[in-house]
Amino acid sequence: MTPETIEQTPVIELRHVDKHFGDLHVLKDVSLAVHAGEVVVVVGPSGSGKSTLCRTINRLEPIDGGQILIEGTPLPQEGRALAAMRAEIGMVFQSFNLFAHRTILDNVTMGPVEVLGVPRKEAERDALELLGRVGVREQAAKVPAQLSGGQQQRVAIARALAMHPKVMLFDEPTSALDPEMINEVLEVMVGLAQGGMTMVVVTHEMGFARRVGHRVVFMADGQILEEGTPEAFFTHPQTERARDFIDSIQGH
Amino acid sequence: MSAQDTGRAPGSAGLAPTAIRDVLFEAPGPRTRRLMRACTVVGVILVAALVAVVLRQFYLKGQFSPRYWLFFTRSTTWAFLANGFVGTLKVAAASGILSLVLGLVLMLGRTCGVRVVEVLSRVVIDFFRGVPSLLLIYFFFLVVPQYGIKLQSFWMITLPVGLAASGVLAEVFRAGVNAVPQGQVDAALSLGMSRGKIMAKILLPQAIRFVIPTLVSQLVVVVKDTTLAYVVSYPDLMQDARVLINNYTALVSVYLVVAVIYVVLNYLINKLAAFIAARSGVTLVTRAGETSL
Repeated sequence: MTPETIEQTPVIELRHVDKHFGDLHVLKDVSLAVHAGEVVVVVGPSGSGKSTLCRTINRLEPIDGGQILIEGTPLPQEGRALAAMRAEIGMVFQSFNLFAHRTILDNVTMGPVEVLGVPRKEAERDALELLGRVGVREQAAKVPAQLSGGQQQRVAIARALAMHPKVMLFDEPTSALDPEMINEVLEVMVGLAQGGMTMVVVTHEMGFARRVGHRVVFMADGQILEEGTPEAFFTHPQTERARDFIDSIQGH
Repeated sequence: MSAQDTGRAPGSAGLAPTAIRDVLFEAPGPRTRRLMRACTVVGVILVAALVAVVLRQFYLKGQFSPRYWLFFTRSTTWAFLANGFVGTLKVAAASGILSLVLGLVLMLGRTCGVRVVEVLSRVVIDFFRGVPSLLLIYFFFLVVPQYGIKLQSFWMITLPVGLAASGVLAEVFRAGVNAVPQGQVDAALSLGMSRGKIMAKILLPQAIRFVIPTLVSQLVVVVKDTTLAYVVSYPDLMQDARVLINNYTALVSVYLVVAVIYVVLNYLINKLAAFIAARSGVTLVTRAGETSL
């Protein structure tokens, strides 16, 4: 499963990243490289820093130390350069965060029209195609509150894809969903992974990790404790913390 | 954030709006219902008694005598009051618009990220919020003309009333912007939108919907502040009422009629607001779900 792109510059590289929230040391010397076409699944107990890690990659959380490189270029600190970099990194949130006052179609065209300057007609054509791909094309004229959680999250994925990102970040995309809606979202993500999208996915869905994950990264207390193939990690975890964690999520 | 719990976002949209009463209180039981009925009866009796006392006093003082009321049958009286009413509407509309625009500008200044502008906006906001409208009116009435600036009486009332309200509105707008869930900003940032675009396209449209009820109560305050127009002799409803009072020496009757007109006007403003809010408010369900995270 290891991509043969290993010598190329990683799409995302974290070097010795440190991050504090006040006294809380949430990321401790975290280093991680994600290569083109790779699907990296980040797991770990609540409060382990995995969401924070995900959010530092497009600087929704600034870091205190270390370096983050996107295709070899340091992540800009501010301004247009940062915005331009963010436009190339898709992100999907736990609570969907669809723009509540705009229609589904507007949500998907917002980025291309406002940021990339794509003509509205063209953006709408692309958006409808994307909404079709994630299976909510009929909902295009509704507002987010009229959709189920699973539908909203699929729209959120389409919104991110509309920017043609070089990498997609998923921050616990199914944690806020009712059980029966989790699969419809995972199916879309599996499709993306199989299409070769570079992805960083913070999730507890072991099935997803096993099906399409190239690598599992296990975090606890702000550190990466283990890295390995999903099969190796879930069947032979090396650390006590990882064993406890796997037991706890398999427990139910 | 790493410690996000699984606060469940709303599944499907059950759009029935919940009244504040339903949120704050549980449904009353039989004993409470009896108590509530009893209190209602006592309350109604007390209010009726109070009204009766007032009416009796008016009667004893001869306030119902025809000379206090007959001039209301003349069309000239109503034409005069209508004239004043239009004056009130003009001042209220102009100061309302002024305060909305300036309030928005001050709020943008206060949150723009440039330190100097932020501090300056904050000082201006606090000044206009803290100074009574009447004092501002005296400033435009007595001080400004001394510097050779000639203002029409319309502006001498409109400017101070609008300025006084702008400070409050700036804070109302800011509260509205703060009420938009952080996730909306995160999502916009992750698309690469600039600060300005996020404010214009994501924050303000939602913020304004959140604060429509407060904006309206502020508009009502503006309407009431326009009654200070008599200070600068601008012919608004209140000023015309005073003219009538002097002409007919009819204090109570004129004030009663004018009070009713103000109540009706402000009631209509509230109705209009409810109408606007109902037309634009579809977002509440999503918001409740996100803020519960």
